Amino acid sequence: MLKAALLKLGGAAATMLAVSLLIFALLEFNVEGVAAKVLGQFSTADQRHAWLQANGYFDPFVLRYLRWLGGFVTGRWGTSTYYHADILQLIRPRLAASGLLGGAALAVTIPTALILGVAAGVREGSGLDRLLSVFAILSTSVPEFASAVFLSALFVFKLGWLPGVSTLSSGPSLRELALPTLVLAISASGYISRMTRASVAEVMTSPYVRTARLKGASMARIIRGHVLRNALVTPVTVIMLQIPWLLSGVIVVEVFFAYPGFGTLLYQASINSDIYLIEACAMVGVVVVVASQIVSDILCAWLNPRLAMTGGRP
Amino acid sequence: MMGLRNNDGSPLHPAVPDLADQALRGRIDRRSFLRTVAWLGVNVASAEALLGVSACAPEPAASTKNRIRFVCAVQQMSDPALTTWIEASNLFRNSLEFLTEVDADNITRPYLAESWKPSDDLKTWTFRLRQGVKWSNGDAFTADDVAFNIKRWIDPKSQSVNRTTFSVIQAFEKIDDHGFVLHLSRPVCSLPEQLYAFTCPILHRRFEAEGGDWPKNPVGTGPFELVEYDVSRSARFRRRPGYWGEPAAVEEIDYIDLGTDVATHVAALAAGQVDILYRVTIAELDLVKRLPNARLLSGQAAHTLVMRMQPDQKPFDDKRVRQAVVAAADPAQMLKFAYRGLGVVGENHHVAPFQPDYAPLPRQTRDVAKARRLLAQAGHPNGIDLTLTLGNTQGRWEQDTAQILQQNCAEAGIRIKLNVIPAAEYWSIWDKTPFGLTYWSHRPLGVMVLDLAYRAGGGWNESHFSNPAFDHALDEAMAILDPHARAAAMARAEAILQDEAIMVQPYWPQKFTAVSDRVRGHRVHPSDFFRMDRVGIV
Repeated sequence: MLKAALLKLGGAAATMLAVSLLIFALLEFNVEGVAAKVLGQFSTADQRHAWLQANGYFDPFVLRYLRWLGGFVTGRWGTSTYYHADILQLIRPRLAASGLLGGAALAVTIPTALILGVAAGVREGSGLDRLLSVFAILSTSVPEFASAVFLSALFVFKLGWLPGVSTLSSGPSLRELALPTLVLAISASGYISRMTRASVAEVMTSPYVRTARLKGASMARIIRGHVLRNALVTPVTVIMLQIPWLLSGVIVVEVFFAYPGFGTLLYQASINSDIYLIEACAMVGVVVVVASQIVSDILCAWLNPRLAMTGGRP
Repeated sequence: MMGLRNNDGSPLHPAVPDLADQALRGRIDRRSFLRTVAWLGVNVASAEALLGVSACAPEPAASTKNRIRFVCAVQQMSDPALTTWIEASNLFRNSLEFLTEVDADNITRPYLAESWKPSDDLKTWTFRLRQGVKWSNGDAFTADDVAFNIKRWIDPKSQSVNRTTFSVIQAFEKIDDHGFVLHLSRPVCSLPEQLYAFTCPILHRRFEAEGGDWPKNPVGTGPFELVEYDVSRSARFRRRPGYWGEPAAVEEIDYIDLGTDVATHVAALAAGQVDILYRVTIAELDLVKRLPNARLLSGQAAHTLVMRMQPDQKPFDDKRVRQAVVAAADPAQMLKFAYRGLGVVGENHHVAPFQPDYAPLPRQTRDVAKARRLLAQAGHPNGIDLTLTLGNTQGRWEQDTAQILQQNCAEAGIRIKLNVIPAAEYWSIWDKTPFGLTYWSHRPLGVMVLDLAYRAGGGWNESHFSNPAFDHALDEAMAILDPHARAAAMARAEAILQDEAIMVQPYWPQKFTAVSDRVRGHRVHPSDFFRMDRVGIV
């Protein structure tokens, strides 16, 4: 058990290191490019050379990488070249805003997806199952940029019920959160409910469920006592995989609604070639991915203790 | 003469009586007359009275509410003279002022400079500054402030585009605290108009000494003061007590950065979250027309797309290749399909028919056979592969236009690959790519844009065009006051650009924007230079 946990943590650390090396190499291998981006288009070759010299850019690549990694670990993330501001200060409110949106999306998605998935899975092949499958496939296959346009055409332009942009300029507002949350929840819940349905349907055919039925247990009791816990392993894994997606994969939704989140910041950083900010955002993304995977493993082990023994994944 | 007077009460420039005579006899149109005499320091109201037209100086709108919300990119900015985005200038224009002002009617009016007067040969310009103007930090505004600005524009080490525009200034001479003289190396008649370029705000004389970062130290003479500047999110300006001019109609202006997608801006307008949009592109036109609480504004401007080829890069070093591309292109089709025909067809020389110094040339016609022939002569009998780089800096219509060029050229065996890159990335390579599609904003005069973009060695000469005969024709045109005589020199410059086939400049699109129906007094300015102190909201 302990060995498995250590292996997990070691694996996570190795993943983060490998990705960090990749990010650093991609963005800072070409030092001329770094100088041009930091000093701007009006800088001269001499200025760039002097800047590179002063900032230790002629040191060996490995040394520069270690220095940068050390800075990241100790919270010295540098200054954004575009915003002229400390990156840590810049990212913090953005992460909070994205956390709010992601949390709201999950709060809507999880109950919806689980209820729909279980309802469809326990009566596989019924009319309700078919109907839910159609909804799930539709919502999964319509990309966010399309559903965002469609929903804002309906709720902003046609009905006039909701605000068209969610800048949160006067603090968090439910009305402003509604549309982006809805877009995210629709596209995520379709997928998760499909996974739940498949998992539930599989458990429903298992011998212990048949035994329970033969014993005359009520459907509600079977679902609560036998199906749910066993069927939840897959949905939990899928839900945990959605968390990193909610952080950086929602760029489209954040940009569409002008939402001041992490995704918009990453998008701005990349269009402005703000390399230190891109590096920091990418590293935050990596940390979130790895952390959510560890949480997912712990949850799965709790749901199904057999998995913890082997350290395997469902 | 006939009631005409100079703003400073001095004698009229010797060219003025003849111009007035021509205007009264209808030989030159009223607008050209007003513009020309305004350059020479004549009081515009007196000129309008001479022609019997009513004075139409812009006035502040009535306002019952106190805050306007304006959708505008809030970009990183430090030195206003170095800015390359007009959006940035629309922020600092609330606090920083210019020596002159050119309003939507294209006539130059006094601003921080109360009057100006050129010498007879147009090489020595005497300016008088407004008295009683105070900076927001309490200092008095004087000729020293102007000296600081002009000297740093023309400094050989200056990185501002002003260095090219004002390279003609040889010396700045201070007369007293409110007067100065500019000595030019050659005659230029439109100098006052050029002083309203968006890179020419007058900064405080200690701007550099105090850090050179304007949003951090926003000293200005204007009607508003900057109270908040949050890059990529918002900026807030508040009405400043003690402003020298008419106080602004509203108390506060909020600039909100909603990203680059105009559809998002329209959604915010529809939901009543903002009052004024910066611009609306052709793609959102129908959407805006259907909004019940918004008004669509439109206007004509000499802004355009230029698909230019660099003659110092292969294969464009062969003039016949460039000519083949131009001959194969169908500008009318581009206007029709990429911009729904809402504009005027261009003539590949970057001077618009509605600019006052435009000279008509024989019409160019599309000729695919000629394009093929030129290509074969240039050693490409089996066609040629080219790459056109563009950044959709103004919207999707840039790419739509390029795609029509692609189809047009395919008929002549010119295979164009489109290299579409992000807008911000385009602005870092716009003057480096051999074949690029660049958006050029409006300039009041054809000579201004030709001087900036096609003069040998110019700061914004993205096409690397270098032609002494062209430069000479341009010098001549810039020195001529009489609109007719100027057209003759312009015809030569235009013809050289057409013959050298530097660019496909397909059309002059109309400009659009949308505002809430509660907004008063907001107009489409051809250059997007908005004066927010005259806008009100009810």
